[in-house]
Amino acid sequence: MTYALVRAPRLDLEEFAATAGLHPDLVRRLVVLGVLDATRDSAGRLWFARSQLAVVARIQRLRAGFALNYAATGLVIDLLDRIAVLEAAMRRQRLGG
Amino acid sequence: MADRDFYRILGVPRTASQDEIQRAYRKLARENHPDVNADPGAEDRFKDISEAYKVLSDPQTRHRYDAFGPDFRQVPEGVDPETWRRARAGAGTRSRAGAGAGQAGGARFGFGAGGEEVDLDELFGGLFGGRSAGGWGPVPGADQTAEIELTVQEAYHGGQRSMTIGSGSSQRRLEVTIPPGVVEGQRIRLGGQGGRGSDGAPAGDLFLVVRIRPDRTFRLEGRDIHVELRLAPWEAALGTSVAVPTPDGEAKVTVPAGTSSGKRLRLRGRGMPNPRGQPGDLYADARIVVPPHPTDAERELFERLAANSQFDPRRRH
Repeated sequence: MTYALVRAPRLDLEEFAATAGLHPDLVRRLVVLGVLDATRDSAGRLWFARSQLAVVARIQRLRAGFALNYAATGLVIDLLDRIAVLEAAMRRQRLGG
Repeated sequence: MADRDFYRILGVPRTASQDEIQRAYRKLARENHPDVNADPGAEDRFKDISEAYKVLSDPQTRHRYDAFGPDFRQVPEGVDPETWRRARAGAGTRSRAGAGAGQAGGARFGFGAGGEEVDLDELFGGLFGGRSAGGWGPVPGADQTAEIELTVQEAYHGGQRSMTIGSGSSQRRLEVTIPPGVVEGQRIRLGGQGGRGSDGAPAGDLFLVVRIRPDRTFRLEGRDIHVELRLAPWEAALGTSVAVPTPDGEAKVTVPAGTSSGKRLRLRGRGMPNPRGQPGDLYADARIVVPPHPTDAERELFERLAANSQFDPRRRH
């Protein structure tokens, strides 16, 4: 048995779907909806950064917790990210006096 | 004239796949939806994005758009693109299609078998068109927010100010009445100047958030105004009377004898006016300035002072 010492910096569609526990078709649909970020190589194959695994987990939690459809999770995630940026700016401002 | 290049509006190359087009649309729609983005230009961007998507998401209309350009709806079916281009170049006159409001039917698209099906009109159409196919009644417009930058003088005195709001086809000029004594971050509400409502529903409001341009002379702290009061050492030591600038002209300040740098002289009620209560105060912040190049006489007097004075500014009492 051999183990890879270095984790691949990016995952292809099948690896990503398997790691996230989703069907590849669903992953592809999330990319089309613009909620997951992926790059497309010249052959048209999708590649995912590992950080997108956390995004996909968040999508699943939001969908399950609030009965949102996938298009709506995109909006919710955008808004949550915007709030996070604003809160960070406010914290910095408070620390800076 | 609004941008009619639907590919540029969506930020995709002309060779983009249907998936890429939908992805670009989804992202832009989320950023520019009038309830998400209060910028007055966002509503029009959203409309352009939706229009571009409506055309490009249907392979058939996309094909006709590629062949005939933004006026493709005026071209009858079955016309050869080359013939059309020549005829148009010859005619010289260019008539533009409307914003697409006359187009029949909504754009329907699904995400694979058994997936959710989303109807664009159901989601957004009622906001802009008269075709509330989703069965919604009139929907009031969204509120919008824009910034207005004022000088200290303008904020102090108030008055009329004309400004340009929005971008592209719906750019408007507004005459705004600024009440005297507005402060940083204050919101001025202009009723009914926000996003348009559908089916005769009322428009939203436009809120102007006041930003006060930094001023070389006046520093604002809420309604209090600070000005620097530069004093010669002898003026500070002996006391004097000095004119300081205020946004409402000069004011006379009596500097008591023995004033050090950092001392604040308050002129009560000479700060920003307050339409609903006490006006702010004006503070003259003393700062002692020595002659950078003293004359021989000045230097001699300072030397005599140094020799005779017991004063030690670094000794704590």
